[in-house]
Amino acid sequence: MNNLHDLLLAKPFSDGAMELLLFGSFALHLLFVLLMLGTAMIAVFFFAHSWLTGYSFELRWDKRVLRIHLALKSLAVVLGVAPLLIIQVLWSVPFLTAAALLAPYWLGLIVLMITAFLSLDTLGHKMDVHPVRHLIFGVLGLTALLAIPAVFTAVLTLAENPDKWARVAAQGLGSEPGLVFHWLMRYLHILGAAALFGGAFHFFFSTKGSEDRHYHLSNWMVVAVLFQVVVGVLLLGSLLDRLTPAIIAAVTVGAAAAMVLVGLAFYRNPEARTGRMKIALLLLPVILVSMLLARQFLQHEAVAPVQAALEARAQTQRGLLAPWKATALRGFQAHLATVYDDGETIYANSCAFCHGDDGRGGGPEAAALVIPPERLDAVRAQRSYLYQVVAKGIPGSGMPYFTVFDRAKLERLLEHMNQRFAVASPPPAPSSAGDAAAARKVFANTCATCHGTDGRVSRFGADLRPAPPDLTRYGLTPDRAFKVITRGYDGTVMQPFAQLPEATRWGLVSLVRGMWQPGPGGS
Amino acid sequence: MLFPTFYVPGLGQGMSIALVAVVHVLISHGFAIGLLTLIVLMEHLALRRGDGELEDLARHLLKPAVIIVTAVGAVTGAGIWFTVSVLAPQGIGSMLRVFFWPWFIEWIAFTLEVLVLLPYYFLWERMRAKHAGLHLALGWSYVAIAFCSAFLISGILGFMLTPDGWVQNQRLVSAFFNPTFWPQLALRFLGGLALGGLFCLGMVLFSRKPAAELRGQVMRLLGGWVLAAGALAALAAWFYFSAVPRTYSVHKVFAVLTSRLSQEAWLLWLGNILAVVVVAAAAAAALARLKLAARLLIIPALILAVGLVIEFERSREFIRGPYLMPGYMYANQVPLARGELLKRRGMLSQAAWYAAQPPGLEPRAPAGHALFMANCGVCHSIGGLNDIRDRLAGRTQPSVGVMVRRTEQMVPFMPAFSGTPDEALTMAAYLYEISGQRRSIDAAPPIGREGGRHE
Repeated sequence: MNNLHDLLLAKPFSDGAMELLLFGSFALHLLFVLLMLGTAMIAVFFFAHSWLTGYSFELRWDKRVLRIHLALKSLAVVLGVAPLLIIQVLWSVPFLTAAALLAPYWLGLIVLMITAFLSLDTLGHKMDVHPVRHLIFGVLGLTALLAIPAVFTAVLTLAENPDKWARVAAQGLGSEPGLVFHWLMRYLHILGAAALFGGAFHFFFSTKGSEDRHYHLSNWMVVAVLFQVVVGVLLLGSLLDRLTPAIIAAVTVGAAAAMVLVGLAFYRNPEARTGRMKIALLLLPVILVSMLLARQFLQHEAVAPVQAALEARAQTQRGLLAPWKATALRGFQAHLATVYDDGETIYANSCAFCHGDDGRGGGPEAAALVIPPERLDAVRAQRSYLYQVVAKGIPGSGMPYFTVFDRAKLERLLEHMNQRFAVASPPPAPSSAGDAAAARKVFANTCATCHGTDGRVSRFGADLRPAPPDLTRYGLTPDRAFKVITRGYDGTVMQPFAQLPEATRWGLVSLVRGMWQPGPGGS
Repeated sequence: MLFPTFYVPGLGQGMSIALVAVVHVLISHGFAIGLLTLIVLMEHLALRRGDGELEDLARHLLKPAVIIVTAVGAVTGAGIWFTVSVLAPQGIGSMLRVFFWPWFIEWIAFTLEVLVLLPYYFLWERMRAKHAGLHLALGWSYVAIAFCSAFLISGILGFMLTPDGWVQNQRLVSAFFNPTFWPQLALRFLGGLALGGLFCLGMVLFSRKPAAELRGQVMRLLGGWVLAAGALAALAAWFYFSAVPRTYSVHKVFAVLTSRLSQEAWLLWLGNILAVVVVAAAAAAALARLKLAARLLIIPALILAVGLVIEFERSREFIRGPYLMPGYMYANQVPLARGELLKRRGMLSQAAWYAAQPPGLEPRAPAGHALFMANCGVCHSIGGLNDIRDRLAGRTQPSVGVMVRRTEQMVPFMPAFSGTPDEALTMAAYLYEISGQRRSIDAAPPIGREGGRHE
């Protein structure tokens, strides 16, 4: 498929075949969705019915109805995998855009499904609970269950209206009343279909020839059909500007079949209605297929051009991306070959761009920093102190924390730095002791403000960002120390003391060297 | 930014997916594979021995298993997909195209799984008298199909860590049978069996149903089962981690302990050893039919086993670091080649969607914020988990700029910044400004003050 620079252009097979597969798999999924929803509605409704009429209604027929919910819902869920897969490949941009714009509701589906399925299936399989508890769980489960198609229809509605995406993204779905009306009718049409199909299913499979149950379910379905006719007309009204001949043909077939069904339901002699309903229900597959065809034609008209335009744009980008494919692959191979485990690799990649390959503080990014990176070749400190610097960073400077590496790695890094720059060895004594008396006086009067009288940071110094180092644990080579005292440390409060006599500055170097203490384990 | 991406406030992307995924793994592995295999095995033994009580027990265990598998297991499985559809639309859009056929076959496998499980559950009582053998065959068919769906998923999950040959040849076979495929399949299957044994043990130990004699027999069976499957799963885990490239596996300690605890690696080893010891002890107690000891140990054993599952999934997801699809796409959904292009052409000019500015965030810097969300939002948040303001607390403005330019090199599990140098500056300035609010708190105390040894 050689589409490595843009997988979104790769398709497993032709769009036409995918649409066909989408139609077939969606019809199968939707059939079980309708049966599942209808089953839950009927079970909860007839439970309430039998409870209100004092359990007279054939010893809780709803138990038998609800028991099958587990099977229908399991099939509805797994059968949904294929249509979701195909629509995300065939019309990825419209579908995924709409889902993301309605993300909180879309993610809420997980909670809704678990609540609905756990409530209803626990009831369906552990029936003898107290009626009040039964009613609470039944209503809770049913409410959650009925909310699920609301989310799916909303996502599909939005996917089919790409011209509304920007406005919905900015102001929410409520900003498009036309869209909301269309969604509401679409959603109610699903609920009505669920009532009808669920009724038909249980009419054949759960009544066990009982006249009483047939009678109740016939009435149920008559109400459902009338509801569907009203909602269907309103739904069609919200789509008038989108109708094509194919859509009109499909809707006409479906509507005609529905009319025959209504006619049979209302034909004179209501006594024989049950028998007539048995015939009428054979029309249901015709209605389902024709209405789903109309749905798919509508969807195609609305989203195929959007997806095609985006794919065309991606095709033009293809040429732009091609030259970078090799660069990207080289970068990936280099990443795979670099194992951040030893001190050398970590130093070279995570430290050297500031501190320099040679540790002299002149890495390629050094010039960008206001506080220059420390010259590591001049650092002479307790290893435990260095570990803390590396692990925690220095607030107020560019030195970040490196606990992104575990302790063993940081220890190996320090080991490497010590081998190369001797950072964890004691600072050597300066060759010239300088003017010790003057140095003590200057230190006590000036330096101690931040560094503390004994080299441990003063309270004032500790509040500086960056704070000065603890001179009892962190030192520098004499030349470097002399340079810092003379020129200051850029970007910090450490100012230049070039005005002091050279002997005093050397005296300070000696004094500070004298404060340095080896750590608990040597240095 | 071809798609709008939803960023979960507070929890962030990774944790949101993880929450759904961990529940799914526990149920799909522990219940749908492990517990159901055990139930079929018990039925098998019951039929062979003519032990009606054992068959009753198996049937008694099946009801909650079926309800949980179909109501929570299947839903969280789809839920992972729902979640990544809005959290990583470009990522899932690309993955589905590489794995269209395995995914499609998975649909058939799932459907068959349900089609076999339903009669196995609903018709047990009815088939018991005349068709007991056929019922058992249904059970074993279920186990075989469940294994097939684990097989299909393992190929996809393994690819996300070790795509290997696919990067060069883009062939599905290379992508699917990748280096971690077989060890991961073995680990998931055996781990599922062990986990299922623990779940089953817990149910049997605290159920009032079985008589003492039967309970003892089943405890013995389950104890041995957990020990054997657990030992084999540990072996598979070892094979798995040896098949992971070292570039990735060296981040395992950090993956689990995060920067908060990364310096205390011993915690990880202690936790793992503790988990293995407690699980083994619970299994041994069951093997020895020590009811009280097994009851005391099974709860901590289950909690620690769940911990092991979380540890494995977290490691697997984290160590692949900067990539969502190694060799093709960064974790932030930017394909590698596109990232190179964006570095020259700019990210914002190419974006179809800007991430929306969260309310109440000062200063309002839509460009900086959009760049942050697109580049970093998959792992970092503002005000939630892995808060970028904590990560950058105490840094100077130019050093934030340096880090943005060097992410990939400095921290091996961060992707590169995909944008022009100007955009890097825009984002760095924005991040410096928002994290500046944290400077007075300072995540780390200045060095030299610890131990209170200051004036």
